[in-house]
Amino acid sequence: MRTRARVFATIAATTAAIILVGAQTQTKVPRTAWGAPDLQGLWNTNTLVPLERNQQYGTRAQMTEEEHARALADLQQRNQRPGRDSREIAGKSGVGTEKDVARAYNEFWFGDKPTKLSYRTSMIIDPPNGRLPAYTPEATKRIADKREFLAALLQGTSGGRPGPISPRRKDSSPDYNLDRINRADGPEDRGGPERCLGDNLPVTMGTGTFGGVMQVVQSPDSVSVYYDVGQGQGFAWVIPITNRPHLPKNIQLYRGDAIGHWEGDTLVVDVTNFSDETNFRGSRQNLHLIQRFRRLDANTLQVEFTAEDPTTWMRPWTAVQELERADDKTTVVLEGGCHEGNYGLLGMLLNTRAAEKAFAEGKGPDPATQDNATGGGGDN
Amino acid sequence: MRIRFGVSATAIISAALVMSLAVIVGRVSAQRASVSAPVPASSSAPIRRQANGKPDFSGIWQANNSANWDVLTHEAMPARVMQTGVHQLSPVPAAPVLALGAVGGVPPGVGVVEGDVIPYKPEALQKKKDNFEHWLDRDPEIKCYQPGVPRAMYMPYPFQILQGTNKIMMVFEYANAQRTIHLDQVEPYPNDSWMGHSVGHWEGDTLVVDVTSQIDKTWFDRAGDFHSDALHVVERYRMMTPDAIWYEATIEDPNVFTRPWKMAMPLYRHLEPNAQLMDYRCIEMVEELLYGHLRKQPLVRTWEGQTMTVRVERKVPPPDVLYDR
Amino acid sequence: MRTGLSRAIVLAAAIVVVVGVFALTTIRPAGQAAQAGQPARPSRIEGKPNLNGVWQAMNTANWDLLAHDVKPAVAQQGVYANHPVLAAPVVALGSVGIVPPGPGVVEGNEIPYTAEAAAKKRENAEHWLDRDPEVRCYMPGIPRAMYMPYPFQITQSGSKIQMVFAYANASRTIYLQEAPKPPADMWMGHSVGHWDGNTLVVDVTDFNDRTWLSRAGDFHSDALKVVERFTPITPDALRYEVTLTDPNVYTRPWKMSMVLYRRLENDATLMDFRCVELVEETFLGHLRRNQLVKHWEGDTIVLDVTRRTPEGDKRYER
Repeated sequence: MRTRARVFATIAATTAAIILVGAQTQTKVPRTAWGAPDLQGLWNTNTLVPLERNQQYGTRAQMTEEEHARALADLQQRNQRPGRDSREIAGKSGVGTEKDVARAYNEFWFGDKPTKLSYRTSMIIDPPNGRLPAYTPEATKRIADKREFLAALLQGTSGGRPGPISPRRKDSSPDYNLDRINRADGPEDRGGPERCLGDNLPVTMGTGTFGGVMQVVQSPDSVSVYYDVGQGQGFAWVIPITNRPHLPKNIQLYRGDAIGHWEGDTLVVDVTNFSDETNFRGSRQNLHLIQRFRRLDANTLQVEFTAEDPTTWMRPWTAVQELERADDKTTVVLEGGCHEGNYGLLGMLLNTRAAEKAFAEGKGPDPATQDNATGGGGDN
Repeated sequence: MRIRFGVSATAIISAALVMSLAVIVGRVSAQRASVSAPVPASSSAPIRRQANGKPDFSGIWQANNSANWDVLTHEAMPARVMQTGVHQLSPVPAAPVLALGAVGGVPPGVGVVEGDVIPYKPEALQKKKDNFEHWLDRDPEIKCYQPGVPRAMYMPYPFQILQGTNKIMMVFEYANAQRTIHLDQVEPYPNDSWMGHSVGHWEGDTLVVDVTSQIDKTWFDRAGDFHSDALHVVERYRMMTPDAIWYEATIEDPNVFTRPWKMAMPLYRHLEPNAQLMDYRCIEMVEELLYGHLRKQPLVRTWEGQTMTVRVERKVPPPDVLYDR
Repeated sequence: MRTGLSRAIVLAAAIVVVVGVFALTTIRPAGQAAQAGQPARPSRIEGKPNLNGVWQAMNTANWDLLAHDVKPAVAQQGVYANHPVLAAPVVALGSVGIVPPGPGVVEGNEIPYTAEAAAKKRENAEHWLDRDPEVRCYMPGIPRAMYMPYPFQITQSGSKIQMVFAYANASRTIYLQEAPKPPADMWMGHSVGHWDGNTLVVDVTDFNDRTWLSRAGDFHSDALKVVERFTPITPDALRYEVTLTDPNVYTRPWKMSMVLYRRLENDATLMDFRCVELVEETFLGHLRRNQLVKHWEGDTIVLDVTRRTPEGDKRYER
C-alpha cells in the first residue's frame, strides 16, 4: 500500500514537474488570445549578417568572440569609407567621375549604416559551408546568356566594352527582363523595380533604414504579412492556415501561392506557383519556398527558409534570419504607391523618344551610344 | 376596489394599458425609423467573437452590388463611354468599347447612398459631370491605382480581413491594395496616402473607423464622384448575420460637399471552400495604356472582328497632360 | 363572496389584457431576422426551404469556369509570347479591360471536351467577341444565367419556382408539379424540379445549341442535359451544384459547384438590364446606311472604327 502510494506520488510529482516546465517554456513565447504563438508586430533588422559565409569560417555557424571583435572593427572601418561610387578605381580617385556624379543621388537614400554585427557567420546554414549551392548548368547558361545580352546593349558606350553598336539592340530579351538594361524601347525594357513590379522577393529583409520592415497581423485562420521594402516594391500577402491543396500548376502568381500550417510553435508556409516575373536570386517560376516563422521571445522573430529549384540550384539550400521588433514611432509602415507615382518610367520613355528625335534631326548624339543602364563605369 | 394583497385592480389595469401603449408607441417609432434609416436588423444567430468578446470580422469578403459603377441609383447604359446615337436621348457605345457589346454595358443598380443624392457644391457638381465625360482618361481605377477608402470596400473583387490583437489588416485582391486599422495608439501618418490612415475603436459590437490623410486623387466610383484631400471618412462595421457585415461610411469634405453624406451596404462572407485572394496583377496590363504612346514602335495597332476593324493611333499630348499620371 | 369573485375576474381579465398586448407586440414570428416594421422572412415555404429573394453569384465563373490568372479581356501578343497585352478593342479601358483571376468552379478543374470540341473551344475563345451570345444580349441559358454577374430573383410556390434574371430580362419556370411538354428547343431549356429533402433538384433539358457556358468559349450541343442541385447552407446562401452531360461534346459528365448569395439590402430590387437596344450598334451597326460610330479621342489614344459586312454565310450569322 505504501509502495503503491509512493509510486503514485512519484508519478504525480513528475507529471507536475513536466507540466510546470512545459508551462514555463510556453509562457516565454507570447501568445495570441486564441493560444497560437503571436507573430504580430513590426519586424526589421539592424544587425548585419551576410547571406553567405566567408570561407575562413569553414563549416562553423557561429563566430568566436575574437573573430566577432575583429569583424566588427572591420565593419566600422568600412563605414568610414566614401560612398561606393566615389572610391578609388585603379589608383585614381573616384570623386567627380561620371559614375560618381550620376549616382550621387543614391547616397542620400542609403541612410544609416548598420553598426551591429551578428555572431552568425552567415544566414545560410545548409549547405554546411554556409554558401549558396552551385547553379545548375541550365541556370548558368541562362544567366550567362542574359549577361551577354546586357553587355551587347552596352557595347560601344562609356559603360561597356569597346566595339560597334550591337545589332542585338533589335532583339527581344532572352528572359522575362527584370534587369535594368541599356534600352528603353518600351516599359518592358526598364526592368522590375522601374516598372514597380517588385524587386527580388523579400524573403530576407535588408539591414538598416533602407532594409525595409515587415508588418504581421494574425487571425486564427490566416496570417497577413505586409512588406514595406525599397521604394514601394513591397506587397501584402495573406497566408491561410489550411490543408487545402495549392492552386493548379498553370496558375502563376508573382507572390506565389502560400499555404500555412502550425507545427508545434512554428508556422510552416509552403509557397509554390511563382511566375517568370518573380526573381529570387536567379530562381523564377520554378521556385519552391518553405518558410518557418518562429517567435523566439518578446523581441525576436526567427524566419528560416528553404529554397528549392532544380532548374536553378544543384540542391536546396536553407538560411535563417532573426528579425527584431520595431516600434510604430521610429519605423512607420508606409503604403507602396510606387506605380501611382511612377514619373521615373514616364520620364525615361519620354526622354529616350525625345533623344531619338533630336538625333534624327541632327541635333544630338545617338542614344544607342550612351550608357543609360549603369551611369558609366560598367557595373550594375 | 381593492383585492386581497392590497394592490388595486385599477392600478394593475392602468399599468397594463400604459405599458402596452408604450410598446405600441415604441413600435410605431421603430417603423418610422425604418423608413428614414433603412438598416437591416441583425439576425439572432450567434456571430464569431474573439476571446475578448468583440465580434471577429476575419474572413474573405466582397460587396455584391454595382456601387463601383455608380454609388447612386442608375439604370442600364450601353457603356460608360458613349457617343451620340441616332436620337439625342439614346447614346451608343463609343469606339473604345463598341466591340464588347453587352459585356461593356453598365448594369443597373439601386444606389447605396442615403437619400440617393450626393450633396455637391455647384462647382463640384460641374467637375463630377466633367469627370464622367472623361472617365477613361481620369478614373484612377483604369490606371490600376489604389482605390482609397471607401471605394476599396466595394470594388467587385474579394478582400480579406485579418483581425489581430491591436491591428486589423485588410488586404484587397484589386491592385494588392491594403490598409491597416490601428486599434492601438499610433503616431499620425506623416503624409497623405492613397489608402489613408485608419484608426479604429469599438462602440459595443460596432467597429468604428476614422479614416484621414487621403490624397485627392481617388474617386468613389466610375461615375466621376470625387473628393479633395480634406476628405474625412467614418466607417461603421456591424455583423448583420454571422456571414454578412453591414458597412456604413459617412463622407465629409467641406471643399466639395455642402454637408456630410452616407453610404451603406452589406458585405458578404465568401463561403466557397476554395475561397482565396489571387493576384490581380494589373500594372503590366495597363502599361500599354499608360506608356504605349511612348514606345519606340507602337505595339497595339489594329484588331479585326467579323464586322469591324479597330485601329489605334497613339498621340503625345501637350506637356500639362503629358505628365499627368 | 360575489365581490371576491368579481375582483378575481377583474384581476384575471387585467392579466389577460397585459399578457395579450405584450404577446401581440413583442413576440416575433419564428424564422429569419425581422426587419423593423416589416413581416419576418419565413424560413420555410410550404414545408420547403425558402428560396425567395434576390440572389447573385460572387465569382468569376462567367469569365472562365476553370482556374485562371489575370488576363486581358481581348488579348494580343505583347513583347513576350506568354505575356499578352490588352488589344485594341479594350486597350483604352486599362484595368477595366482585364479578366480578374479566379480559383475556378469545376470539380477537378477540367472540362472533359472531346478532342474536336476542345479545338472548337479554343477557337471560340480566340473569336470571343464575334461569337459569344452574351455580347449580343442573347439569353444566357442554364447554368450560365445563374452566375452572370448580375442579380436574379426567385419567386417560390409549392407548384412552381420562377427565376427572373436582370440580364436580358431572361427567365425560366421550374415546374414542381405538372409540367407542360416543351414545344421546341429553347435558349433557357425546360426545367422540371423536385425536392430531395432540403435540396431542390432540377432537371433541365430541351436546350438549343446556341448558348455558351462562359466568356472563355465553353459551349455545348442541343443534346445537353443539366441537373442542378440547390442546397441551403445558411439562411442567406445556397450551394449550387450542376452536372452537365452532353455526349456530342464531353467525354463524360462533369460538375461545377459554387455559392449563390442572397442580397440583404432592405431595398434589394431587380432592375432591368434590357440590353437589346444597348447592343444594336455592336452587332448591327455595320448594316447602317451611314456608319455611326467611327472615331474617338482620349488624351493619348485615338481610335478609328471601320465597319464591314462579312462574306458568305457569316453575313447571316446571328
